[in-house]
Amino acid sequence: MAIITLPYRYIERLAGTDRQTIIDRIPMIGADIERIEEDHVDVEFFPNRPDLYSPEGVARAMRGFLGLEEGLSAYTVRPSGIAFSVDPGLADIRPFLGSAVIRNVNLDEEAIESLMALQEALHWAVGRGRGKVAIGVHDLDTVTPPFRYVASPRDRSFVPLDFEREMTMEEILADHPKGRDYAHLVENFDKFPLIVDADDRVLSFPPIINGELTRVTAATKNILLDCTGTDRKAVMTAVNIICTALIEAGATVETVTVDGEEMPTLAPAERVVSVAECSRLLGLSLTPQEMARLLRRMRFGAEPDGDSRVRVLVPCYRSDILHDWDIFEDVAIAHGIENFDAALPATSTVAQEHPIPALAGAVRSVMTGLGYLEVIPFTLTNERVLYTNMQRDPAPGTLRLLHPISEEQTVVRTDLLPLLMEMLLANKHRELPQRLFAVGDVVEDCTTYQKAAAVSIHPAADFSEAYAAADVLCREISLPYTVTESADPAFLDGRRGDIIVGGRIVGVFGEIHPAVLGTFDLEHPVAAFALDLRAVPGYPVPPGTP
Amino acid sequence: MVELTLNEKKLLVVLGSMGTADAAVLAEKMDTRREAVVQYANLAGERGLVDVEKHVSRRYTPTEEGRAYIGKGLPERQLLESFEETIPMRDLQSHPLAKIAIGWMRKKGWIVIRDGVVQKTGKTAPGPDETAFARLGENGAIGDGVGVADLAKRGLVQEEETVAYTVSITPRGRELLAEGLDLQEEAGTLTREQILSGEWKDLPLRRYDVTKLPKRAYPGKVHPYQRLIDEMRRILFDMGFEEMAGGIVQSSFWNFDALFQPQDHPAREMQDTFFLGERWPLPAGYERVRDIHEHGGETSSAGWGGTWSAEKAEQCVLRTHTTGLSIQHLAAHPKPPVKAFCIGRVYRREAIDPTHLAEFEQLEGIVMDEDVNLRHLLGFLKEFYAKMGFEKVRFRPGYFPYTEPSVEPEVYVDGLGWVELGGSGIFRQEVTEPFGIEHPVLAWGLGISRVAMLRLGLRDLRQLYRSDVEWIRETPTYGGRR
Repeated sequence: MAIITLPYRYIERLAGTDRQTIIDRIPMIGADIERIEEDHVDVEFFPNRPDLYSPEGVARAMRGFLGLEEGLSAYTVRPSGIAFSVDPGLADIRPFLGSAVIRNVNLDEEAIESLMALQEALHWAVGRGRGKVAIGVHDLDTVTPPFRYVASPRDRSFVPLDFEREMTMEEILADHPKGRDYAHLVENFDKFPLIVDADDRVLSFPPIINGELTRVTAATKNILLDCTGTDRKAVMTAVNIICTALIEAGATVETVTVDGEEMPTLAPAERVVSVAECSRLLGLSLTPQEMARLLRRMRFGAEPDGDSRVRVLVPCYRSDILHDWDIFEDVAIAHGIENFDAALPATSTVAQEHPIPALAGAVRSVMTGLGYLEVIPFTLTNERVLYTNMQRDPAPGTLRLLHPISEEQTVVRTDLLPLLMEMLLANKHRELPQRLFAVGDVVEDCTTYQKAAAVSIHPAADFSEAYAAADVLCREISLPYTVTESADPAFLDGRRGDIIVGGRIVGVFGEIHPAVLGTFDLEHPVAAFALDLRAVPGYPVPPGTP
Repeated sequence: MVELTLNEKKLLVVLGSMGTADAAVLAEKMDTRREAVVQYANLAGERGLVDVEKHVSRRYTPTEEGRAYIGKGLPERQLLESFEETIPMRDLQSHPLAKIAIGWMRKKGWIVIRDGVVQKTGKTAPGPDETAFARLGENGAIGDGVGVADLAKRGLVQEEETVAYTVSITPRGRELLAEGLDLQEEAGTLTREQILSGEWKDLPLRRYDVTKLPKRAYPGKVHPYQRLIDEMRRILFDMGFEEMAGGIVQSSFWNFDALFQPQDHPAREMQDTFFLGERWPLPAGYERVRDIHEHGGETSSAGWGGTWSAEKAEQCVLRTHTTGLSIQHLAAHPKPPVKAFCIGRVYRREAIDPTHLAEFEQLEGIVMDEDVNLRHLLGFLKEFYAKMGFEKVRFRPGYFPYTEPSVEPEVYVDGLGWVELGGSGIFRQEVTEPFGIEHPVLAWGLGISRVAMLRLGLRDLRQLYRSDVEWIRETPTYGGRR
């Protein structure tokens, strides 16, 4: 999530209000206050609103929300006469370039920091870690237009930012901290993206690092912006958000001609939306005038269009507006989420328990009646617990996580019994007897189904206890069964039985094998059973399989 | 006065002739164990009929090492006697006891070592430790005394504690005895024969002491967390909701794409989600979802743009929410009204610590009907949280990828203030349109382990899944709500 630092002095000046009003009201436009400090407040904004990732963007939104300045911020651009060309050889590497010239910037220490923070937040939220978009800002006065964005041989060298010597682009990927962080984005290509000026001097090696040559400092007056990427829309979103934030801070923006196209226009997009649809969705009865007024508070251009529609101008920085409902949400925010009257609809509906939790409830009722305590083990476990410790072969349908986070959790459980054994180990120091059961999901192949299992540990636990418990559960959930001698290696030979339903083994019971007790570090006999609940008559076909 | 037990009476009778006696002697006379006599005497003692005196005495017996020296003397004495006035150090070191004994001889000042020669000092009289050790040899055990502590420190003797009890009858006891005691046997249990025959009328039944605590018994129990889950299910049934259940494994299509999560969304990277090697074919009509992603399909949406990959959608994951089940339920029941909920386990690729788990339960509710709107969403949330015991609820704008508008509910918890508890919103049209769902769908969800922590006073979420049996035993079935 993006956390934005708002220095009070700066935000108060830009927003035209005091810090307390900002702190009180900012959550109601959609933000979480992270921490309130002596001289600034840190605020977390949602990932769909990168236009709020700068104090300038926040101030623009707050001025509208507080009614200090409403409607569209009109941004004008003039041509700079500067041209940029894009090498067709980049088509499969990093094809899109967005650019602009920003003049008369006033960069004190704080403003540079704020610009860098905006850049980083956009890299994360819009750029998806610089893959989709990467942003570079340059001191325009250190280089000579026109500029070229080219696919360069990998051994081209220049002085990267924060270094004093020339390095080849390959060296940068191996030795520069940023090179190491982002090498994975380009290292598989024969050529690397590069931006050079008319004298073939290097501005940037996107998406990795800028050249030291164009470093932006407090003395910088004019900026050249480059945004490169793999998605044109995202590239232009980044350009628009940065340009409008800098205009809010007092700068002016000029266009650049990229392969003949003048950009950026910073022009709004138009949408004509239905007042009735908005009223229906929000449960309000709005007039076109009211709706337009609310939208102007959210900094849209908005005017009634006849008596049932509103013509909306969507600012160029609002990349989150994909659908009419996105606009309706802004109507709700301007109205104030806290001002809606909660209501319940009149429609009558009838509750219905799902048969699987209902069956699990019946199992709980029987097992607690027998004196067993319920436990709810994890569903993620490992093959040692599930199979090795139990002396069992792995089930063929065991699902393995592709990228487990620990050695303890690498597979999805196919049985509950091993997890109950683990639970006994965890409670070894507690008073005996301990009788535990679990009922819940197991997964084989991609199918989720339910099992029930129980264990009883105490000096006199035996086959008869296990058989009696399995028998009563089967009787109580109306499951007729027969029993044959089992070959389950987790149990002791001569003291184990398989539960057979319809000619299929659906469960097992008996005394746990002493060697298995050993692997779980248990010192007393354990009587246990496990049952596949799919055998129960009327068990529903597992729904929701992919 | 309280009725005496038969055993107390018998004890008084025996003490009547002896006055004072050791508990062991009394046990022999009463044909029972010494521990039983002490128990009877304590009971009678509480009534002031006898005095019980406890004598603790310590004695010391030899350890294994100590036993090896018995009869031969401590190792330094043995070594001292193995040579005359002097001996070269090298020769002395070959003695089997040299390792232990040379140090002790020096410490006790029996010898001096000069130029590799050991010389007796003449001051070699036996110390108190040796005297005590000699007594140990004679008696097999010794009491506290000079020198014993030294032997204990060297690990040659070990301490044993013996407890003796002396019981004497008090004047009140004698008085009672003089009044005469009924020594008829008491019955411990009431038998079927006694009930049928009427014999119970004259039966002296042994009395129980109601001030004694009972043996602690534990019932079989539903897990406290499951009870909370069942309470939530009950609330939703009361509100007319139908229950959903479904698979843990979902295709990316149902878990993400059907919910309009862009294919390059960070949640779809392997850092956040558990991916599986398995693939699952796309359902019929998946093209409508593809079109929504690429250009917004037939809605007013612009879509995400780019090219939607069917291959990416086929990849299976452990479900990161139960919303995939909700959309499948809606796709199967596109006609209004639908009110459904699901409580199920969901998975996030998170390192486990006291407040983060890789798997936990989520509750999700959906309402689809003609003309439901944002106000109804807030209405359901208020009602649900109020029934859960959270009377104060407030709402803020939120963001969730598959709802628009989105609302974050917060509840007020004493001592904690406003706590964010779940998320909610109205399903985006990009989510509902491809499945022919024509009416708004209100949706909300919350991580219920959060509620469990508040309710059960847990500091560590792992307690829910790797439970201490003692905690389950001691958590009350009813009430005790925090």
